[in-house]
Amino acid sequence: MVNILKPCKTAFLVFFCALRLSAQQELMLHTMSDVWHSNTTNPAFFPENKKFILGLPGFGIDAVHSSPITFNDVFVKEGGRTTVNFSNIIDQLDPINELYFDQRYDIANLGVRLPGKIMLTAGYANRLSANIVYPKALPALLWNGNGPYVGQTLELGVKADVADWNEWSIGLGKQFGPLTVGLRAKYLTGISSLLTDPNHQFTAVSTSSDIYQLTLETDYAFYSSSIISAIDTAGLGVDITVVDQAKKLFSKNTGKSFDVGIQYKVNDRLTLDASVLDLGGKIKWNNQANYFSSHGSYVYEGQTLPGIDFINGVDSLDFDTKLDTINDIFNFTKTAGEYSTALPLRAYFGSSFKVGKRWVVGLSGYVNHRGVVGNTYAVGGSIRWKPKNWVSLGAMYSLNQRSVANLGFHLMLKPGPVQVYLASDNLLNAVSVKNSAAVNIRAGISLIL
Amino acid sequence: MNPKTMFSKHILRSFLLLLLSCIAWQACKKSDFEQAELGDHTAEFAFPLFTTDLKLKDLLFNVLNDTLSGDTIFINPDNTMTLFYSGDVAQKPATDIFKFIESGLVPLSSDTVSNPIQTPNGVSISQAKLSGGTMSFVFSNPLSDTITGFFEIPELNRNGEGFKHPFILLPNEQNRVFGSFDMNGYELNSSSNTLTFQYAAYLPNGTKIKVPNQANGFPNVFAVFLNLKFSYVQGYWGYQLYPLTRDTIEIDINQTDLRGDIKVVNPKVTMRVRNSWGFPTRGIIKYLSFIGQNGEELQLQGTAFQNDGTNDYADFAYPSFIAGELGQEKITDIYMDESNSNIADIFNLQPTRLVYEVDGVSNAQLDPNLIGFMTDQSVLGLQMRVELVLEGSAKNFGAEQTLDLNFDGFGSLDSANIESVEFKLVSENGTPVDINAQIYFRDEAGTDIDSLFDAGAKNILNAAPVNNQGIASGVTRTETFIPMTAARFDRIRTTKTAFMKAYFTTAQGGTIPVKLLADNSSTVKLGIKVKKRLTGE
Repeated sequence: MVNILKPCKTAFLVFFCALRLSAQQELMLHTMSDVWHSNTTNPAFFPENKKFILGLPGFGIDAVHSSPITFNDVFVKEGGRTTVNFSNIIDQLDPINELYFDQRYDIANLGVRLPGKIMLTAGYANRLSANIVYPKALPALLWNGNGPYVGQTLELGVKADVADWNEWSIGLGKQFGPLTVGLRAKYLTGISSLLTDPNHQFTAVSTSSDIYQLTLETDYAFYSSSIISAIDTAGLGVDITVVDQAKKLFSKNTGKSFDVGIQYKVNDRLTLDASVLDLGGKIKWNNQANYFSSHGSYVYEGQTLPGIDFINGVDSLDFDTKLDTINDIFNFTKTAGEYSTALPLRAYFGSSFKVGKRWVVGLSGYVNHRGVVGNTYAVGGSIRWKPKNWVSLGAMYSLNQRSVANLGFHLMLKPGPVQVYLASDNLLNAVSVKNSAAVNIRAGISLIL
Repeated sequence: MNPKTMFSKHILRSFLLLLLSCIAWQACKKSDFEQAELGDHTAEFAFPLFTTDLKLKDLLFNVLNDTLSGDTIFINPDNTMTLFYSGDVAQKPATDIFKFIESGLVPLSSDTVSNPIQTPNGVSISQAKLSGGTMSFVFSNPLSDTITGFFEIPELNRNGEGFKHPFILLPNEQNRVFGSFDMNGYELNSSSNTLTFQYAAYLPNGTKIKVPNQANGFPNVFAVFLNLKFSYVQGYWGYQLYPLTRDTIEIDINQTDLRGDIKVVNPKVTMRVRNSWGFPTRGIIKYLSFIGQNGEELQLQGTAFQNDGTNDYADFAYPSFIAGELGQEKITDIYMDESNSNIADIFNLQPTRLVYEVDGVSNAQLDPNLIGFMTDQSVLGLQMRVELVLEGSAKNFGAEQTLDLNFDGFGSLDSANIESVEFKLVSENGTPVDINAQIYFRDEAGTDIDSLFDAGAKNILNAAPVNNQGIASGVTRTETFIPMTAARFDRIRTTKTAFMKAYFTTAQGGTIPVKLLADNSSTVKLGIKVKKRLTGE
């Protein structure tokens, strides 16, 4: 006998592992070409007149959830503990919800300007990209149980493309008069990955309005490397064994990608730029790489008692629900096998125009080609003010496919050789991360000589 | 720049750095969700428990047929069902009624003795076949000479050879037994219902003599027969009265403790006689009455029987000697239904039993020329049967059933966190019968702990629609929701048996007769919703 009401806590956590991934497009950073870390958006960017730059840690996160739910909606303080609570969010979810998340840790990087207007760069970063599409029915079923959905078929299939990798890069820039061209090659070492199989993404639970007969259908499969090592559906619950996520600098999962960019100074006031990032980006996953698949159909109608036994009282009403059989339908088979994932392809373009000595206005754009979610884009207009040489303030209005009301900002300080900055494409969610459905923030520190 | 300005500038730079750090930390710290627990909330789970198909035929077998082994439900070709309540088959072998003397001794005081055949009253034999037994002759020789001779019974022959055997008696030889001779296969033919025992005795000089009697007059010659068996007897059967059967048929459809109001369309009583006696037999109905609910006698009266002024009677068909029907069985059925009796009125009073007593009379018409027969296989069997086609109406006809329960499967529901449950009972009824039921949950001692419905019995099956012939013509779905608090559910989970009282009412409130067909069935299903408090602890 199983505990049919066993909370699928692991499933909750897996879901929130995704939900907690929130995000940004780094449009504001892109307008700050004098900030060293903006080099990550265009390899042609190199602070003017600087010969040696040591990039210290920088952190960027860009996360968006398609419907307006926030961190604080989900993680609720109750007494002295934080609880996961779906009560506040389920009604706000769309029938199909999208979540994408990009996270970037620039651990260290180096830039050197050589004679001949050549710039060399090298760096190490850790990146995470997650694109998840999930139906409202999934958290609703996990949270509410199937009781409220009698007479309905809930499709639960989640589409996901999640990857976490190290990025070792070396770049070369060359200035040709007003034109600077940058090229960066990146050696990628994958840490972990989860990719759903686009051909097998169906899972559904139906609860009949008759006497609640359950119909379970699954045609679902995904690849996983170094995230999930086993799925145990015994006891109706779904226990997912997660691989210890110790970060490794190198692994057997390798890949490469390229960034290219240009910057063109039209005149003393106007500068144009464009870049394409992660060209040909692909990682081949073969470390603890497995294919998990679940295929089956099962109808549970309860016990079938012979009427004659019932009438004669020779049988007993045995309420052993025998739902263990559900294991047969949700049982995932695990097959070892390598696979590849493509990195999201990103592109920036921008222009800036100096207005007087301390003001700069600009126009920027961003396109991201993602796998399971689809393309995202953003365009924005910015204004920047440098009241002093060591401080820069900026603002940006941008719009993207989700919102037309994004007011970004940046603050950059440069006390001596230290350059520190904080930027966001959305001021409100930057200062109130937990109350925003979208998060976009970038911060970092560098030594610039 | 003055020192104050320089100081302010450093303070401002430091403050801004701190602000940046705080914002960055606030944005990025993960401790909240890493330590998060599942929030307390209530979830509701719904799942099916069981489905069962109840066939009306099985239900009727259980309700109507669980006490008497002689009851039978017969499914007719049109799927209607007939309920038979049958009495014991009273089987009377002819040899039980008409007993012939099997053993005896015939003294021969002369050399020829004609002895009447020992038959039952009113019977004289003209022909018989023996299937067993022995015959012996005993001689004593009072003379000093040897005696030789033979003895015989001329009416007996086997395969054309008469019963005749030689004997030799030595001088003064006493009680010399000749035999025993097996009589199996001998035929007896006598036109006068007598047997002739005779002998011929001779002295050594050839003189024929009669063996002298003893001094006291007792003969010195005897014929002795033992255990004679007749496989066939033919002769004249005169008038003779004898008891056939007395029996009681329990009508348990009307014997439940639960009250109900049942009307049966066209009840019928059948008397069936299977007769292989080869002479006319009349059944005298000495007693034929139903017994009512309160023990009152409800006499079954009608025109199915003839009446001789004193008793109802019926002449049973029989295999005729004249027609050469030896070995045949003749069946006589006598029906009493609403067309020829008051049985319909009686059944409206829900009688509980039928009591009947029948005697037999041979050659009731006193035919002096009657030639009949009987064999050792001749049997007259009489059975009374109450026959109820299951067509009628019922109001609150009751039945009971006890079912074992096993709620062990709910043990893992962790009842501490169950807030409430709600059972959903669904019936899809293809029978023309409403079922109003209550279930009492009982502990191991049989004590009622709780009941399924708070407010008394409920209609859990509503009758299917019926056509103008009273036949179910569709399916009626009934949904019954049974909510329970967690405390009540916990209490019920401890019970071991469910005692169900069900009350059956036919379609339209029992106001019209319906036909109960063997293929009528109902599906009963049960599902459950459980509300449970889920916590992260």
